Amino acid sequence: MVSTVANVDVKQKDAEQALVVAISCSAVLEDTDDGEVHGVGVAFPLLQAVQNVNRRLVAANSAESLLFDVLLVTTDGRRQQSARIVSSTKHHGLEVSRFCFSGREDFVESLLENRVQLFLSAEPEEASQAWQRGVLSALLGRQTWSSSSEQLRVLLCGGDIFTTPANPTPAAQRFWSQLGAMRGRFGVLDSPVSVSVLTAHGGRQSFGDALATLRSRGLKADEAHCLAGAPRGPILDLLRPHFLLGDGGLER
Amino acid sequence: MNLSNGETSTVSGQNRNGASGSWEDTKRLVKPSTPTRKPQPALEAVNNRLRELYPQSEELFDVVLVTNNHAYVGLRLINTINHHHLLIERFCMTGGNSPIGYLKAYHTNLYLSADSAKVREALEEGIAAATMFTPEKMTEVSETQLRVAFDGDAVLFSDESERIFKAHGLDKFFEHEKAHENKPLDHGPLKGFLEALGKLQSKFFDKGLRMDCPIRTYLVTARSAASSGTRALKTLRSWGLEIDEALFLAGAPKGPMLEKIRPHIFFDDQMFHVEGAAELGTVACHVPYGIAQRAAKK
Repeated sequence: MVSTVANVDVKQKDAEQALVVAISCSAVLEDTDDGEVHGVGVAFPLLQAVQNVNRRLVAANSAESLLFDVLLVTTDGRRQQSARIVSSTKHHGLEVSRFCFSGREDFVESLLENRVQLFLSAEPEEASQAWQRGVLSALLGRQTWSSSSEQLRVLLCGGDIFTTPANPTPAAQRFWSQLGAMRGRFGVLDSPVSVSVLTAHGGRQSFGDALATLRSRGLKADEAHCLAGAPRGPILDLLRPHFLLGDGGLER
Repeated sequence: MNLSNGETSTVSGQNRNGASGSWEDTKRLVKPSTPTRKPQPALEAVNNRLRELYPQSEELFDVVLVTNNHAYVGLRLINTINHHHLLIERFCMTGGNSPIGYLKAYHTNLYLSADSAKVREALEEGIAAATMFTPEKMTEVSETQLRVAFDGDAVLFSDESERIFKAHGLDKFFEHEKAHENKPLDHGPLKGFLEALGKLQSKFFDKGLRMDCPIRTYLVTARSAASSGTRALKTLRSWGLEIDEALFLAGAPKGPMLEKIRPHIFFDDQMFHVEGAAELGTVACHVPYGIAQRAAKK
């Protein structure tokens, strides 16, 4: 059974207009048995960066409704720890709008119900499950932890940088244009969100195609790299994205 | 050279080294403003020959176009490259970030740019780099043999001897070089690039193709064969590096000699020589390294 709890300490976003991102609880808070408060997980810098984006959006326009709406989703039935989860997020200054307390079998339901546009998890199983149900998902990992806490860095990567699930939810389909609109709120320099593109194989032709597709989706990328078969490790180390999307994303 | 938005695009060259899985580099000439000359043939010719001889190897010339531009001008860049029939397949659009980190990530062997500030930055990070100058009229060059010409001091070698020359004059320079004939000079910023070229050359030599090697290197130096040249040659030998032809001009202008050799590219640390070479149709690149730069600033 899924229960969704709104976080009273955080101003709720207009879910219709916002960009709804759900993060698996295990990526945000460490599962420690002892202590009053959970430690932070690998997604901590990412959340800080997301919050910075919201801050800058509101600073530019106090009535802005295109904001990140962050949901924390438990996937292992940690309902009994729900109070501790809520207080831990508050303790670490994380602006989570809603908490979805669910288990392994039904967490995807809460993603669908909440019309989540992007699901982030450090567990390949979870990301894969969500993907199969049409929810756009990305894996978090070590690189998420070592990435910036001031700028959200998204990397579209792979042969097909716009890979979507087989039956994408309407929410998933809206993700790109919303991300594009959000990026468009900021100028070329000093943006709190950065979108980079990396085509791994294929040369100039597929690179040009990717750039054209980007343009048609209204997404202005910042950096673009065409590796044409070169090893991508060094460039990834340089780009330090919080997460990867595209067919190069789930293959970590 | 200018591509889109009036920004200068820079070219970084790279090879792939199959052995260690890391990258080496190559060099590239990109001249979108002079469509009469297609610069690809020589590099492509070398790559084709290498592939014939070593089908499994990834040790080839590899070119990456690096630009500070943002991705949203990427399409225009691609269109321009298509328009000029340039065979570039790797791109690095840094969106305003310095290219230096990327050059390192690619293990760049040679970085060429029209922007001298970036070149200086690269040199400071230990990357072989030079500022390109396009001659108004380019002489015809070979389409089957890549020819690379280097100045000696402050390019292949350190600038230590140039310092002596500038501080104490020609006689002291000769004395010093004679006295230190057997002491190898320190290496200069482009030594690594010569080394990388040498590695590719030896792949041809190993197949008995010394006479028919599609890469040829030249030393074009103001040193003189009779005296100061010896130290240069001994230094190269001590490094285990070969140079195909060494031309000791004893101070004579380099332009006419380069016109004869017809290298695809020539590297010198002194603008005087770079300009002289360009005037006579050679693609010349300035290596902003060493004592000559301070003198130029005055």
